[in-house]
Amino acid sequence: MPDRVMLTIGTKKGVFVAEGRKARRTFELRGPFGPGVPVYSTLVDTRGTPTMYASSCNPFFGMKVLKSTNMGKSFKETKSAPAFPKDDGRALINIWSIEPGNARKELWAGVEPASLFKSYDGGDSWEMVPGISNHEHARKWNPGNGGLCMHTIIRDGKRVHLGISTGGHYMSEDGGETFAPANKGVGAGFQPDPYPEFGQCVHKIVRHDAVPGRLYMQNHGGWASWTGPGGPRPDIGVLRSDDYGQSWRSIAKGLPSDFGFPILVHPDDPDTIYVMPLEPATRTCPGGAPAVWRSENGGDRWSRLTKGLPKKQSYFTILRDAMTIDTLKSPALYFGTTTGQLWMGRDGGEAFECLFDALPPIHNVKVAVV
Amino acid sequence: MLSCALTVVDAAAAVTVFLPEPLRSYCSGIAELPLTARDVRDLLTRIELTQPALYPNVCDETGAVRRHLNIFVNADNVRDLDGLQTVLTDGDVVAIIPAVSGG
Repeated sequence: MPDRVMLTIGTKKGVFVAEGRKARRTFELRGPFGPGVPVYSTLVDTRGTPTMYASSCNPFFGMKVLKSTNMGKSFKETKSAPAFPKDDGRALINIWSIEPGNARKELWAGVEPASLFKSYDGGDSWEMVPGISNHEHARKWNPGNGGLCMHTIIRDGKRVHLGISTGGHYMSEDGGETFAPANKGVGAGFQPDPYPEFGQCVHKIVRHDAVPGRLYMQNHGGWASWTGPGGPRPDIGVLRSDDYGQSWRSIAKGLPSDFGFPILVHPDDPDTIYVMPLEPATRTCPGGAPAVWRSENGGDRWSRLTKGLPKKQSYFTILRDAMTIDTLKSPALYFGTTTGQLWMGRDGGEAFECLFDALPPIHNVKVAVV
Repeated sequence: MLSCALTVVDAAAAVTVFLPEPLRSYCSGIAELPLTARDVRDLLTRIELTQPALYPNVCDETGAVRRHLNIFVNADNVRDLDGLQTVLTDGDVVAIIPAVSGG
Protein backbone atom coordinates (compact mmCIF):
# COMPACT_ATOMS: atom_id res chain seq x y z
CA MET A 1 0.00 0.00 0.00
CA PRO A 2 1.69 3.26 -1.06
CA ASP A 3 2.19 5.36 2.04
CA ARG A 4 5.08 7.67 1.36
CA VAL A 5 5.00 10.99 -0.47
CA MET A 6 8.25 11.55 -2.35
CA LEU A 7 9.09 14.97 -3.74
CA THR A 8 11.99 15.62 -6.06
CA ILE A 9 13.03 19.26 -6.07
CA GLY A 10 15.31 20.36 -8.89
CA THR A 11 17.17 23.54 -7.97
CA LYS A 12 19.92 25.78 -9.22
CA LYS A 13 22.28 23.99 -6.83
CA GLY A 14 21.37 20.33 -7.27
CA VAL A 15 18.42 18.06 -6.59
CA PHE A 16 16.79 17.61 -3.19
CA VAL A 17 14.42 14.86 -2.11
CA ALA A 18 11.71 15.37 0.49
CA GLU A 19 9.95 12.40 2.03
CA GLY A 20 6.77 12.48 4.08
CA ARG A 21 4.06 10.13 5.28
CA LYS A 22 0.59 10.17 3.76
CA ALA A 23 -0.62 12.73 6.28
CA ARG A 24 2.03 15.12 4.93
CA ARG A 25 2.57 16.75 8.33
CA THR A 26 6.34 16.87 8.01
CA PHE A 27 8.86 16.14 5.30
CA GLU A 28 12.44 14.98 5.71
CA LEU A 29 14.79 16.73 3.30
CA ARG A 30 17.80 15.02 1.71
CA GLY A 31 20.42 16.49 -0.59
CA PRO A 32 21.59 18.33 -2.47
CA PHE A 33 22.67 15.63 -4.90
CA GLY A 34 24.74 16.73 -7.87
CA PRO A 35 25.58 19.67 -5.60
CA GLY A 36 26.11 23.06 -7.17
CA VAL A 37 24.78 22.01 -10.55
CA PRO A 38 21.41 23.19 -11.96
CA VAL A 39 18.67 20.55 -12.24
CA TYR A 40 15.81 21.43 -14.59
CA SER A 41 13.99 18.10 -14.77
CA THR A 42 13.26 15.24 -12.42
CA LEU A 43 11.14 12.13 -12.53
CA VAL A 44 9.90 9.73 -9.88
CA ASP A 45 9.35 6.63 -11.99
CA THR A 46 6.86 4.43 -10.16
CA ARG A 47 6.92 1.56 -12.64
CA GLY A 48 8.30 -1.37 -10.63
CA THR A 49 10.83 -0.42 -7.98
CA PRO A 50 10.55 3.37 -7.70
CA THR A 51 13.46 5.09 -9.39
CA MET A 52 14.30 8.77 -9.37
CA TYR A 53 15.96 10.61 -12.21
CA ALA A 54 17.35 14.12 -12.38
CA SER A 55 19.03 16.00 -15.18
CA SER A 56 22.20 17.65 -13.99
CA CYS A 57 23.12 20.42 -16.37
CA ASN A 58 26.71 21.21 -15.60
CA PRO A 59 27.79 24.44 -17.25
CA PHE A 60 31.42 23.35 -17.06
CA PHE A 61 31.35 19.67 -17.94
CA GLY A 62 28.08 19.11 -19.82
CA MET A 63 24.95 17.10 -19.24
CA LYS A 64 24.55 14.21 -16.82
CA VAL A 65 21.56 12.11 -15.85
CA LEU A 66 21.43 11.20 -12.16
CA LYS A 67 19.58 8.11 -10.97
CA SER A 68 18.53 6.87 -7.54
CA THR A 69 17.18 3.43 -6.79
CA ASN A 70 16.99 3.93 -3.01
CA MET A 71 14.33 6.62 -2.74
CA GLY A 72 16.72 9.47 -3.07
CA LYS A 73 19.19 8.48 -0.38
CA SER A 74 21.93 8.62 -3.01
CA PHE A 75 22.23 9.30 -6.73
CA LYS A 76 24.67 7.99 -9.32
CA GLU A 77 25.34 9.17 -12.85
CA THR A 78 23.96 6.93 -15.58
CA LYS A 79 26.51 5.67 -18.07
CA SER A 80 25.69 8.43 -20.52
CA ALA A 81 23.45 11.40 -21.15
CA PRO A 82 21.65 12.43 -24.34
CA ALA A 83 24.06 13.76 -26.96
CA PHE A 84 23.62 14.77 -30.58
CA PRO A 85 25.30 12.66 -33.24
CA LYS A 86 28.79 13.94 -33.94
CA ASP A 87 27.96 15.16 -37.44
CA ASP A 88 24.73 16.90 -36.38
CA GLY A 89 26.34 20.24 -35.59
CA ARG A 90 24.24 20.86 -32.46
CA ALA A 91 25.45 20.51 -28.90
CA LEU A 92 23.23 19.79 -25.94
CA ILE A 93 22.68 22.73 -23.61
CA ASN A 94 20.11 21.41 -21.17
CA ILE A 95 17.70 18.59 -20.39
CA TRP A 96 14.24 20.02 -19.73
CA SER A 97 12.05 16.95 -19.30
CA ILE A 98 12.39 13.29 -18.43
CA GLU A 99 9.29 11.13 -18.82
CA PRO A 100 8.59 7.40 -18.69
CA GLY A 101 8.29 5.62 -22.03
CA ASN A 102 6.47 2.45 -23.07
CA ALA A 103 8.75 -0.31 -21.84
CA ARG A 104 9.80 -0.68 -18.21
CA LYS A 105 13.22 0.91 -18.63
CA GLU A 106 12.26 3.27 -21.44
CA LEU A 107 12.70 6.99 -20.85
CA TRP A 108 12.03 9.98 -23.06
CA ALA A 109 13.95 13.22 -22.63
CA GLY A 110 13.22 16.63 -24.07
CA VAL A 111 16.31 18.76 -24.41
CA GLU A 112 17.69 22.12 -25.46
CA PRO A 113 18.16 22.85 -28.33
CA ALA A 114 14.68 21.42 -28.79
CA SER A 115 15.03 17.73 -29.56
CA LEU A 116 13.78 14.42 -28.26
CA PHE A 117 15.86 11.49 -27.05
CA LYS A 118 14.92 7.98 -25.91
CA SER A 119 16.64 5.51 -23.64
CA TYR A 120 15.69 1.85 -23.45
CA ASP A 121 17.96 0.94 -20.54
CA GLY A 122 17.05 3.33 -17.75
CA GLY A 123 19.21 6.18 -18.95
CA ASP A 124 22.50 4.40 -19.63
CA SER A 125 22.34 4.98 -23.38
CA TRP A 126 20.30 7.41 -25.48
CA GLU A 127 19.30 7.83 -29.09
CA MET A 128 17.93 10.89 -30.82
CA VAL A 129 14.38 10.74 -32.20
CA PRO A 130 14.77 12.13 -35.71
CA GLY A 131 11.06 12.68 -36.44
CA ILE A 132 11.04 15.82 -34.32
CA SER A 133 14.73 16.52 -33.72
CA ASN A 134 15.37 16.73 -37.48
CA HIS A 135 11.93 18.09 -38.36
CA GLU A 136 12.00 20.55 -41.24
CA HIS A 137 11.00 23.28 -38.76
CA ALA A 138 13.68 22.44 -36.19
CA ARG A 139 16.27 24.87 -37.50
CA LYS A 140 13.63 27.61 -37.74
CA TRP A 141 12.61 27.52 -34.09
CA ASN A 142 14.00 30.34 -31.97
CA PRO A 143 15.05 30.28 -28.35
CA GLY A 144 13.10 32.31 -25.82
CA ASN A 145 14.61 33.73 -22.67
CA GLY A 146 14.78 30.24 -21.17
CA GLY A 147 16.43 28.77 -24.24
CA LEU A 148 15.04 26.62 -27.05
CA CYS A 149 13.61 23.90 -24.90
CA MET A 150 11.42 20.86 -25.30
CA HIS A 151 9.73 20.90 -21.94
CA THR A 152 6.55 18.87 -22.38
CA ILE A 153 6.20 15.25 -23.42
CA ILE A 154 2.73 13.69 -23.20
CA ARG A 155 2.25 10.13 -24.40
CA ASP A 156 -1.17 8.70 -25.16
CA GLY A 157 -0.76 5.39 -26.94
CA LYS A 158 0.41 6.17 -30.46
CA ARG A 159 -0.35 9.85 -29.93
CA VAL A 160 2.47 12.04 -28.62
CA HIS A 161 2.23 15.72 -27.72
CA LEU A 162 5.35 17.86 -27.42
CA GLY A 163 5.62 21.39 -26.10
CA ILE A 164 8.49 23.51 -27.36
CA SER A 165 9.45 27.02 -26.40
CA THR A 166 9.58 28.63 -28.87
CA GLY A 167 8.41 26.05 -31.38
CA GLY A 168 4.82 25.47 -30.34
CA HIS A 169 2.82 22.27 -29.95
CA TYR A 170 3.75 19.30 -32.12
CA MET A 171 1.83 16.05 -32.42
CA SER A 172 2.60 12.57 -33.54
CA GLU A 173 -0.07 9.99 -34.38
CA ASP A 174 2.40 7.18 -35.00
CA GLY A 175 4.14 6.79 -31.68
CA GLY A 176 6.76 9.45 -32.31
CA GLU A 177 7.98 8.50 -35.79
CA THR A 178 6.64 11.65 -37.45
CA PHE A 179 5.39 14.95 -36.06
CA ALA A 180 3.32 17.88 -37.30
CA PRO A 181 2.62 21.27 -35.72
CA ALA A 182 -0.86 21.62 -34.20
CA ASN A 183 -1.21 25.24 -33.14
CA LYS A 184 -4.53 26.44 -34.53
CA GLY A 185 -5.69 29.10 -32.06
CA VAL A 186 -2.36 29.28 -30.24
CA GLY A 187 -1.24 32.89 -30.37
CA ALA A 188 2.23 34.36 -30.48
CA GLY A 189 2.87 37.87 -29.24
CA PHE A 190 6.42 38.42 -30.25
CA GLN A 191 6.03 38.52 -34.03
CA PRO A 192 3.76 40.35 -36.48
CA ASP A 193 1.69 37.25 -37.33
CA PRO A 194 -0.39 36.58 -34.22
CA TYR A 195 -1.30 33.01 -35.23
CA PRO A 196 1.65 31.40 -37.02
CA GLU A 197 1.73 27.75 -38.04
CA PHE A 198 4.52 27.14 -35.52
CA GLY A 199 6.97 29.08 -33.37
CA GLN A 200 4.72 29.84 -30.39
CA CYS A 201 6.22 30.15 -26.94
CA VAL A 202 4.29 27.33 -25.29
CA HIS A 203 5.07 27.16 -21.57
CA LYS A 204 3.38 23.92 -20.50
CA ILE A 205 0.70 21.47 -21.68
CA VAL A 206 -1.25 19.01 -19.49
CA ARG A 207 -4.05 16.55 -19.87
CA HIS A 208 -5.98 13.96 -17.84
CA ASP A 209 -5.84 10.27 -18.74
CA ALA A 210 -9.64 9.97 -18.46
CA VAL A 211 -10.22 12.60 -21.18
CA PRO A 212 -7.31 12.26 -23.56
CA GLY A 213 -8.82 14.54 -26.21
CA ARG A 214 -8.85 17.53 -23.91
CA LEU A 215 -5.63 19.40 -23.28
CA TYR A 216 -4.84 22.56 -21.39
CA MET A 217 -2.00 24.89 -22.24
CA GLN A 218 -0.20 27.71 -20.50
CA ASN A 219 1.09 29.76 -23.40
CA HIS A 220 3.20 32.92 -23.34
CA GLY A 221 0.52 35.53 -22.71
CA GLY A 222 0.74 39.15 -21.70
CA TRP A 223 0.10 40.69 -25.12
CA ALA A 224 -3.26 42.37 -24.54
CA SER A 225 -1.84 45.88 -24.85
CA TRP A 226 0.58 45.22 -27.68
CA THR A 227 0.35 48.04 -30.23
CA GLY A 228 2.96 46.89 -32.73
CA PRO A 229 2.47 45.05 -36.03
CA GLY A 230 -0.40 42.60 -35.86
CA GLY A 231 -2.15 44.50 -33.07
CA PRO A 232 -3.15 43.41 -29.58
CA ARG A 233 -3.75 39.75 -28.85
CA PRO A 234 -5.50 39.43 -25.50
CA ASP A 235 -6.05 36.21 -23.62
CA ILE A 236 -3.76 34.00 -25.68
CA GLY A 237 -2.01 32.75 -22.56
CA VAL A 238 -4.32 30.08 -21.15
CA LEU A 239 -5.90 27.72 -23.67
CA ARG A 240 -7.89 24.55 -24.02
CA SER A 241 -8.26 21.99 -26.78
CA ASP A 242 -11.09 19.48 -27.11
CA ASP A 243 -9.89 17.77 -30.26
CA TYR A 244 -6.62 16.19 -29.16
CA GLY A 245 -4.71 19.42 -29.66
CA GLN A 246 -5.68 20.14 -33.25
CA SER A 247 -7.29 23.46 -32.28
CA TRP A 248 -7.23 25.62 -29.17
CA ARG A 249 -9.44 28.30 -27.59
CA SER A 250 -8.82 30.79 -24.81
CA ILE A 251 -9.95 30.07 -21.26
CA ALA A 252 -8.08 33.04 -19.79
CA LYS A 253 -11.11 35.23 -19.02
CA GLY A 254 -11.34 35.92 -15.30
CA LEU A 255 -7.63 35.57 -14.56
CA PRO A 256 -5.63 38.59 -13.38
CA SER A 257 -3.01 37.84 -16.03
CA ASP A 258 -2.84 35.35 -18.86
CA PHE A 259 0.92 35.06 -18.37
CA GLY A 260 2.34 32.24 -16.29
CA PHE A 261 4.47 29.14 -16.57
CA PRO A 262 2.90 26.03 -15.00
CA ILE A 263 -0.54 24.54 -15.51
CA LEU A 264 -1.90 21.49 -13.69
CA VAL A 265 -4.90 19.22 -13.91
CA HIS A 266 -6.42 17.60 -10.84
CA PRO A 267 -5.61 13.86 -10.69
CA ASP A 268 -9.25 12.87 -10.13
CA ASP A 269 -11.13 15.52 -12.08
CA PRO A 270 -10.30 16.55 -15.64
CA ASP A 271 -12.42 19.68 -15.21
CA THR A 272 -10.28 21.04 -12.38
CA ILE A 273 -7.17 22.90 -13.41
CA TYR A 274 -4.69 25.22 -11.75
CA VAL A 275 -2.52 28.08 -12.96
CA MET A 276 -0.26 30.60 -11.28
CA PRO A 277 -0.76 33.94 -13.05
CA LEU A 278 2.26 36.24 -13.14
CA GLU A 279 2.72 39.79 -14.28
CA PRO A 280 4.16 39.52 -17.77
CA ALA A 281 6.71 42.30 -17.35
CA THR A 282 8.23 41.03 -14.13
CA ARG A 283 7.26 37.33 -14.14
CA THR A 284 6.17 37.77 -10.52
CA CYS A 285 2.85 37.42 -8.70
CA PRO A 286 0.52 40.36 -9.38
CA GLY A 287 0.79 42.97 -6.65
CA GLY A 288 3.30 40.90 -4.72
CA ALA A 289 0.41 38.75 -3.45
CA PRO A 290 0.87 35.12 -4.53
CA ALA A 291 -2.23 33.17 -5.52
CA VAL A 292 -2.98 29.92 -7.25
CA TRP A 293 -6.04 30.16 -9.49
CA ARG A 294 -8.32 27.18 -9.88
CA SER A 295 -11.08 26.42 -12.32
CA GLU A 296 -13.46 23.57 -11.57
CA ASN A 297 -15.26 23.67 -14.88
CA GLY A 298 -12.50 23.40 -17.42
CA GLY A 299 -11.63 27.06 -17.55
CA ASP A 300 -15.04 28.78 -17.73
CA ARG A 301 -14.66 30.37 -14.30
CA TRP A 302 -11.68 30.86 -12.04
CA SER A 303 -11.30 31.28 -8.29
CA ARG A 304 -8.34 32.58 -6.30
CA LEU A 305 -6.70 30.34 -3.71
CA THR A 306 -4.63 32.26 -1.18
CA LYS A 307 -5.22 30.83 2.30
CA GLY A 308 -1.87 30.54 4.04
CA LEU A 309 0.07 32.39 1.34
CA PRO A 310 1.66 35.78 2.00
CA LYS A 311 -0.67 38.70 1.44
CA LYS A 312 1.91 41.22 0.27
CA GLN A 313 5.55 41.91 -0.57
CA SER A 314 6.08 38.42 -1.98
CA TYR A 315 7.17 38.58 -5.57
CA PHE A 316 7.25 34.86 -6.30
CA THR A 317 8.18 33.44 -9.67
CA ILE A 318 7.07 29.87 -10.29
CA LEU A 319 8.67 28.20 -13.28
CA ARG A 320 6.99 25.83 -15.73
CA ASP A 321 7.79 22.58 -13.93
CA ALA A 322 7.78 23.94 -10.39
CA MET A 323 4.15 23.14 -9.61
CA THR A 324 2.69 19.67 -9.17
CA ILE A 325 -0.07 17.78 -7.39
CA ASP A 326 -0.03 14.42 -5.65
CA THR A 327 -2.47 11.55 -6.14
CA LEU A 328 -3.71 10.96 -2.61
CA LYS A 329 -7.44 10.97 -1.84
CA SER A 330 -7.40 14.65 -1.02
CA PRO A 331 -4.49 15.72 -3.17
CA ALA A 332 -2.04 18.38 -2.15
CA LEU A 333 -0.63 20.92 -4.54
CA TYR A 334 3.05 21.84 -4.35
CA PHE A 335 4.93 24.75 -5.85
CA GLY A 336 8.49 25.97 -5.61
CA THR A 337 9.67 29.52 -6.10
CA THR A 338 12.79 30.97 -7.60
CA THR A 339 13.41 32.45 -4.17
CA GLY A 340 13.74 28.94 -2.77
CA GLN A 341 10.46 28.35 -0.99
CA LEU A 342 8.53 25.12 -1.33
CA TRP A 343 4.81 25.46 -0.59
CA MET A 344 2.15 22.78 -0.14
CA GLY A 345 -1.56 23.46 -0.59
CA ARG A 346 -3.73 20.88 1.17
CA ASP A 347 -7.11 19.80 -0.18
CA GLY A 348 -6.29 20.78 -3.72
CA GLY A 349 -4.91 24.17 -2.76
CA GLU A 350 -7.45 25.18 -0.10
CA ALA A 351 -4.80 25.89 2.55
CA PHE A 352 -1.13 26.51 1.94
CA GLU A 353 1.87 26.07 4.21
CA CYS A 354 5.57 26.58 3.54
CA LEU A 355 7.45 23.28 3.79
CA PHE A 356 10.94 24.67 3.17
CA ASP A 357 11.80 28.33 3.29
CA ALA A 358 15.33 28.71 2.03
CA LEU A 359 16.27 26.22 -0.65
CA PRO A 360 18.23 27.34 -3.70
CA PRO A 361 16.13 28.74 -6.57
CA ILE A 362 13.65 26.01 -7.53
CA HIS A 363 13.28 24.94 -11.16
CA ASN A 364 11.28 21.77 -10.85
CA VAL A 365 9.05 19.89 -8.40
CA LYS A 366 7.68 16.39 -8.99
CA VAL A 367 5.76 14.17 -6.61
CA ALA A 368 4.81 10.51 -6.35
CA VAL A 369 3.11 8.40 -3.73
CA VAL A 370 5.07 5.17 -3.32
CA MET B 1 48.79 5.28 -44.96
CA LEU B 2 51.43 3.58 -42.87
CA SER B 3 54.00 6.31 -43.42
CA CYS B 4 51.47 8.97 -42.44
CA ALA B 5 50.77 7.19 -39.18
CA LEU B 6 54.47 6.88 -38.44
CA THR B 7 54.94 10.58 -39.10
CA VAL B 8 52.24 11.43 -36.56
CA VAL B 9 53.87 9.30 -33.88
CA ASP B 10 57.32 10.69 -34.63
CA ALA B 11 56.13 14.30 -34.22
CA ALA B 12 54.23 13.77 -31.01
CA ALA B 13 55.46 15.29 -27.76
CA ALA B 14 55.21 13.59 -24.39
CA VAL B 15 53.08 15.85 -22.18
CA THR B 16 51.16 15.66 -18.92
CA VAL B 17 47.49 16.61 -18.77
CA PHE B 18 46.43 18.03 -15.41
CA LEU B 19 42.82 17.26 -14.52
CA PRO B 20 40.75 19.25 -12.02
CA GLU B 21 39.18 17.32 -9.18
CA PRO B 22 35.64 17.03 -10.66
CA LEU B 23 37.02 15.26 -13.75
CA ARG B 24 39.14 12.66 -12.01
CA SER B 25 36.27 10.25 -11.44
CA TYR B 26 36.00 9.90 -15.22
CA CYS B 27 39.67 8.90 -15.42
CA SER B 28 40.21 6.27 -12.70
CA GLY B 29 40.79 8.97 -10.12
CA ILE B 30 44.08 10.22 -11.47
CA ALA B 31 45.07 13.89 -11.46
CA GLU B 32 47.78 13.71 -14.10
CA LEU B 33 47.35 11.93 -17.40
CA PRO B 34 50.44 11.24 -19.53
CA LEU B 35 49.80 11.46 -23.27
CA THR B 36 51.63 12.13 -26.49
CA ALA B 37 50.33 14.64 -29.01
CA ARG B 38 51.49 17.12 -31.62
CA ASP B 39 49.23 19.99 -30.66
CA VAL B 40 46.24 20.70 -28.43
CA ARG B 41 43.69 19.53 -31.00
CA ASP B 42 45.60 16.28 -31.38
CA LEU B 43 45.70 15.97 -27.60
CA LEU B 44 41.91 16.26 -27.42
CA THR B 45 41.59 13.59 -30.10
CA ARG B 46 43.81 11.30 -28.06
CA ILE B 47 41.74 11.95 -24.96
CA GLU B 48 38.63 11.03 -26.97
CA LEU B 49 40.26 7.79 -28.12
CA THR B 50 41.82 6.72 -24.84
CA GLN B 51 39.48 8.26 -22.23
CA PRO B 52 35.95 8.06 -23.65
CA ALA B 53 34.29 8.84 -20.32
CA LEU B 54 36.46 11.89 -19.74
CA TYR B 55 36.20 13.41 -23.21
CA PRO B 56 32.52 14.54 -23.18
CA ASN B 57 33.27 16.56 -20.06
CA VAL B 58 35.89 18.54 -21.96
CA CYS B 59 34.37 18.85 -25.44
CA ASP B 60 30.77 18.95 -26.63
CA GLU B 61 29.31 16.88 -29.48
CA THR B 62 30.65 19.28 -32.10
CA GLY B 63 34.18 18.86 -30.82
CA ALA B 64 34.33 22.35 -29.34
CA VAL B 65 35.97 22.79 -25.95
CA ARG B 66 33.21 23.45 -23.44
CA ARG B 67 32.52 27.13 -23.01
CA HIS B 68 33.46 27.44 -19.36
CA LEU B 69 36.69 25.47 -19.56
CA ASN B 70 40.11 26.90 -20.22
CA ILE B 71 43.11 24.99 -21.48
CA PHE B 72 46.55 26.13 -20.48
CA VAL B 73 49.86 24.97 -21.89
CA ASN B 74 52.23 25.52 -19.00
CA ALA B 75 51.32 29.05 -17.83
CA ASP B 76 49.57 30.26 -20.98
CA ASN B 77 45.92 30.00 -21.97
CA VAL B 78 45.82 28.51 -25.47
CA ARG B 79 43.49 31.37 -26.34
CA ASP B 80 46.57 33.60 -26.12
CA LEU B 81 48.72 31.17 -28.08
CA ASP B 82 47.57 29.44 -31.26
CA GLY B 83 44.34 28.02 -29.87
CA LEU B 84 43.88 24.35 -30.57
CA GLN B 85 46.76 24.56 -33.05
CA THR B 86 49.18 25.33 -30.22
CA VAL B 87 52.13 23.01 -30.76
CA LEU B 88 53.22 20.88 -27.83
CA THR B 89 56.75 20.01 -26.84
CA ASP B 90 58.15 17.33 -24.58
CA GLY B 91 57.54 18.05 -20.91
CA ASP B 92 54.66 20.49 -21.38
CA VAL B 93 51.94 20.47 -18.76
CA VAL B 94 48.49 20.93 -20.26
CA ALA B 95 45.99 21.99 -17.61
CA ILE B 96 42.22 21.82 -18.06
CA ILE B 97 40.77 24.36 -15.65
CA PRO B 98 37.15 25.49 -15.17
CA ALA B 99 36.61 29.20 -15.61
CA VAL B 100 35.65 31.28 -12.61
CA SER B 101 31.96 31.79 -13.08
CA GLY B 102 28.59 31.09 -11.52
CA GLY B 103 26.76 32.44 -8.55
